[in-house]
Amino acid sequence: MNARTITSDLLLGLIPIVLLVAVWQALVSFDYAPVTLLPPPLRVLERMAQQLLSATFQQEIAATLFRLFAGFLIAVILGVTFGLAAAVNPTINAVVRPIVRVLAPLPKVALYPALLLLVGFGHESKILLVTADALFPILLATYYGASTVEQKLVWSAMAAGTPPREILFKVVLPAAAPSILTGCRIGLVISCIVVFLAEMITSTDGLGHVLVMAARTFQAVDMFVPLITISLLGLILNGLLELVRSYLLRGFPEA
Amino acid sequence: MMRRAAPILACLGLLAIWQLASLASENDSFPTALEAIRAIPAILGDKDSLVNFGASLRRMAIGFGIAVAVSIPLGLMMGRSRMVASFFNPLLMVIYPVPKAALMPIIMLWLGVGDIAKTLVIFLGVSLPVIYHSFEGAKAVEEKMLWSGAAMGLSAARRMVSIVLPAALPEILTGCRTGLVLALITMITSEMIARQSGAGNILFNALDMGQYDTVFAMIIIVGAMGIGLDALFEKMRARLVRWSEPQLDVPLSFS
Repeated sequence: MNARTITSDLLLGLIPIVLLVAVWQALVSFDYAPVTLLPPPLRVLERMAQQLLSATFQQEIAATLFRLFAGFLIAVILGVTFGLAAAVNPTINAVVRPIVRVLAPLPKVALYPALLLLVGFGHESKILLVTADALFPILLATYYGASTVEQKLVWSAMAAGTPPREILFKVVLPAAAPSILTGCRIGLVISCIVVFLAEMITSTDGLGHVLVMAARTFQAVDMFVPLITISLLGLILNGLLELVRSYLLRGFPEA
Repeated sequence: MMRRAAPILACLGLLAIWQLASLASENDSFPTALEAIRAIPAILGDKDSLVNFGASLRRMAIGFGIAVAVSIPLGLMMGRSRMVASFFNPLLMVIYPVPKAALMPIIMLWLGVGDIAKTLVIFLGVSLPVIYHSFEGAKAVEEKMLWSGAAMGLSAARRMVSIVLPAALPEILTGCRTGLVLALITMITSEMIARQSGAGNILFNALDMGQYDTVFAMIIIVGAMGIGLDALFEKMRARLVRWSEPQLDVPLSFS
């Protein structure tokens, strides 16, 4: 892959996005869609810039980000712990496996009413929902990564006299890191989606709430802004995680 | 024998924990597991709610069917042609972190609250994981098989159908399994936003009216639907691709 193919790939990838915006503009310009239902792209961008600079909108973003990170971090800690424990200990495995088997395909959004009734309408219920949804991809990826660690690595460490507890942190965890990070990436995108949904259902702040308020007052422009914002947030967070990944996995073969 | 019993034991264990927790908390809005289970027959016996469930499942089946029919060919083409891949990848990356159910208010503005809007949202939610997994599956097909096919005079289209499709099938079905759980989640969320009919409508209306045992009974029903559909799909998958070992035997579900 040289620089030229990468640029041509990028240009090619821009085509559908540009086309989409062009069709959008055309729909408005040629009066196929009324402006109240489909505002022109430029107006959405303008409104977006205006909103991003306003303090209230920044607070909404901060509220969303706080819930997102809190939920995601709890999910990472729980997921990695249980995933590792299940991979190295047969007893824990026998307990965790069937529970995960039952809980993973359960639609977690359906649990949200129960969470609301149990922990209230504040931050906690949203954070818990994010955790519930992000937990399983991370747990499964950790489990998968840790249970496919090459046996020879463990044997060499044992032969060199490393105590079992240290093998876990010095051999198994680093060897499972690429898989864990892949799980975290899926978990992060899920967190973005879920925090937004939870805020749409019941909330007094956050990006999801902005969307619902705009929908109730039929402000089409304001409906696009939070959607674009969450998409951008997702892309930025994904990029940051990619940086963390390339830092943590420096020295791994083609990580 | 033990392997089959384990998930059922896990279910019973979770219900028992629920029962104990609610007995211990003595919270009015947190009914015990037994009370919730007792409320299930009343819901399932009611003709209205059966009609609602039927409508939900119909939308889900249509949305899922169309999404699979469109996404598999697209994913396979992306996996075999770098041009197609770099054409669609950026667009998909931008759409990925957007919560599909959050598009509901905007789509409702254009298409109304009826079946079309909800089915469209389910379609959008299901297609991304199916495209992604078909893409990965098609990318990993061994070149030599394709060369042999070409040497034996198979046309490009025939090679796609009789070599790439079967070779990528295990990966594609993994994507479909994720998509199935997603379809259920998107179905519930879309009905929660457009409260008109469906299982999500019953659930969130019960929450608003404070019928807490109905809320928890609906959570059990929806959860059972998720687990049941997933188990059914897993049976079918095991039949179709008996020759391949699944990587993870639990699907990654998210909204």
